[in-house]
Amino acid sequence: MHEELETLLEMQDLHMQLRALEEGEVRDLESGLFDMGIEEALETLDQKILELQGRLEPRVQDRYRRLISAGNRAVVPVLGGVCYGCFVAVPTSWAAEADPNDKLNVCQNCGRFHYYPT
Amino acid sequence: MQLRDFFSTDAIALDLTTETKDETLRTLVGLFHLDEKSEGILFKMLKRRENLGSTGIGRGIAIPHCRSLVVNRLRVAFGRHTPGLDFKAIDEKPVHYIFLIVAPPLEVSNQYLPVLGKIAQFSKEPDVPEQLAAVTKPEEFLQLLEMKGV
Repeated sequence: MHEELETLLEMQDLHMQLRALEEGEVRDLESGLFDMGIEEALETLDQKILELQGRLEPRVQDRYRRLISAGNRAVVPVLGGVCYGCFVAVPTSWAAEADPNDKLNVCQNCGRFHYYPT
Repeated sequence: MQLRDFFSTDAIALDLTTETKDETLRTLVGLFHLDEKSEGILFKMLKRRENLGSTGIGRGIAIPHCRSLVVNRLRVAFGRHTPGLDFKAIDEKPVHYIFLIVAPPLEVSNQYLPVLGKIAQFSKEPDVPEQLAAVTKPEEFLQLLEMKGV
């Protein structure tokens, strides 16, 4: 897997976790059932995201930040040859590669990074 | 929605012999048969979640969970560790029963939280630890879920 794609996946998962903790249902579950200190957890996640961001090329960082700050997911799966960010078909040659995750593919339509689940 | 519909017998490990929490998480992630990289990412995310606070809810039960793009549908696994593991649980007691839940960031039917809630509900039943200890094969574990009506 492409190193930056791996970092992006991790960053997005952390962003999702962070956003979820800011919402009522997940926040209540995590603090109620698991006794999680929410404010401390949010800070820890924030710091980790920043640390990971530093591993990306500036242009990749910019794209990621732009997508995330617009409230979008930055990395989306490609399932059945379709980008799950904009639901437009991706070039079939991409998916035909031995491991399409070895390259950092960007959707030509919506600009999101692509991930091919196994 | 029935919990048993989310479990498959090959994702139920009743005789874990792992020695650490990390090793246990890796073993349970392995039950999903993902590729090596995806397993690594998933393990890392579960670890990160654990670092925010243990998912050991007491009475020998832990429910590690996270969302990640490396899975394309909700996946659950169950592991039993008879000797018990140090999971830094809320009650500081060893963990014997581990329910692993992972889901993609977005699901069509949004089952992640309801499944997590149902497992928590099941885990809170007074006789559940005892009954989980008595299970001898994966099918019995599924029957127990059904019997409890979760």
